[in-house]
Amino acid sequence: MNPPGDYALAIPLARWANRRLQLLAAETGSARLSELHGTTLVGERGANNGYRINGRVSAGLGGSRLMPTRDGGWFALTLIRPEDRELLPALFGDADLAIHDNDAIAAAALRHNCAELVARGRDLGLPVASADEVPVNPPVEILVRGPMRRRARGQRLLVIDMSAIWAGPLAGHLFWLAGAQVVKVESLTRPDLIRRDDPATFDLINQGKANVVVDFASDPQKAALVALIRRADVVIESSRPRALKQLGIDAEALVREVPGLVWLSVTGHGASGEAANWTGIGNDCAVAGGLARALEDASGEIGYVGDAIADPLTGITAALEGWRALQSGEAQRVGLSMSAIVAQALAQERAHDAAALESELQGWAAANGKLFPKFARRTLLAPVHAIGSDNARYLPC
Amino acid sequence: MKPGTRLKSQADDTEVMVIRTGGGTIECGGAPMAEAKPAELLPLAADFSAGTLMGKRYVDADGAYELLCVKPGKGSLSVDGIALVTKDAKPLPASD
Repeated sequence: MNPPGDYALAIPLARWANRRLQLLAAETGSARLSELHGTTLVGERGANNGYRINGRVSAGLGGSRLMPTRDGGWFALTLIRPEDRELLPALFGDADLAIHDNDAIAAAALRHNCAELVARGRDLGLPVASADEVPVNPPVEILVRGPMRRRARGQRLLVIDMSAIWAGPLAGHLFWLAGAQVVKVESLTRPDLIRRDDPATFDLINQGKANVVVDFASDPQKAALVALIRRADVVIESSRPRALKQLGIDAEALVREVPGLVWLSVTGHGASGEAANWTGIGNDCAVAGGLARALEDASGEIGYVGDAIADPLTGITAALEGWRALQSGEAQRVGLSMSAIVAQALAQERAHDAAALESELQGWAAANGKLFPKFARRTLLAPVHAIGSDNARYLPC
Repeated sequence: MKPGTRLKSQADDTEVMVIRTGGGTIECGGAPMAEAKPAELLPLAADFSAGTLMGKRYVDADGAYELLCVKPGKGSLSVDGIALVTKDAKPLPASD
């Protein structure tokens, strides 16, 4: 089954996404999920926004670039926050670098070795990757376990979605499609900017979710959020560990205390060890997972595959792993690594049908400059709640 | 000093990456920072013991200096005796 549309061009790994999505549909018994196609989830943002395949520059905003390094490596750097550019003199050890000039940045990359740039970029908190790295953490890792909770069959799940951008909110969306009550939590000072920057995608993946806004400077509001979490079945978040702690939320303590609480930590490179502090977003994480190198191996040309593909692959995986964790009844914090999920998808897809994958990668490389595959836009099934519109119901304080 | 230089506190565990520097003396816990770790820690100055936070960027009032904390500690950062303050991080605008 395919969604209606133009299939001359396949998005590599969309078939893997679909297999995982159909597993989730079967295990949850959700008709809405079984009607959805993995290709839709992987490709809808690019299709709806008219993205073009752009080689060594990421599709859409073009915020991520692959650049050759002195030692023959390829360095991926994502620059979407203006203040991240202020870190470039430190990244390249050059106080006079023209930080708004992409050619000057590429020339600077060529003067350094890839591993050195990746290490320093991660210290600086920049989303960076090497095309040749091996993800340091597993795709899915159970970090802490807590007490059991027995749930009545058919009990409506409560999901608290504190994540932002794409992967985490997509996981929340899949839980919502499967019938859960989902509460999206946004910070008063750091709301999910996808609402403003890409409303079409925001609406698709956040439709039907209740919405609360929390002022993390207010102790009563933080306490109300923790009280809400204590009665939840699932929490989804995509913050770095120190950010959560600074907000007064101790994920591991909550998992140890609250029976059956499933805590999904969606990260760039895993939630344990030093990598827990690294940043990573969809396009650079796909490079770190080996997808850009796989494109080059198949076609001779390195480049980005899909649109921030680590995000939708991770969103589907998070929902599936979260669902399975709920079935076990045991409280647990599950770390999800976007880069390792891409590496896993690539390896499994290769094992599944290496020839098809190879031909799709070649097709993707040959389509450089063309528009993303088009297919019918999903219609909204429920209204999108305005920011903070459900505070009175979920965060009384 | 080149941007990207990593400096270590001589009075606590703090380590910073230099983002921007104006040439004054960068200190932590009241003592000048250095590229090498000290054999023995110096005493922490009471006025510079508010602590550093991992991942926070610290700036002076003029924006001539900017340091990124890559390892937290008990000391606080200053340049030529004047305390630096944190610069608040901005959210990601969109996935890319």
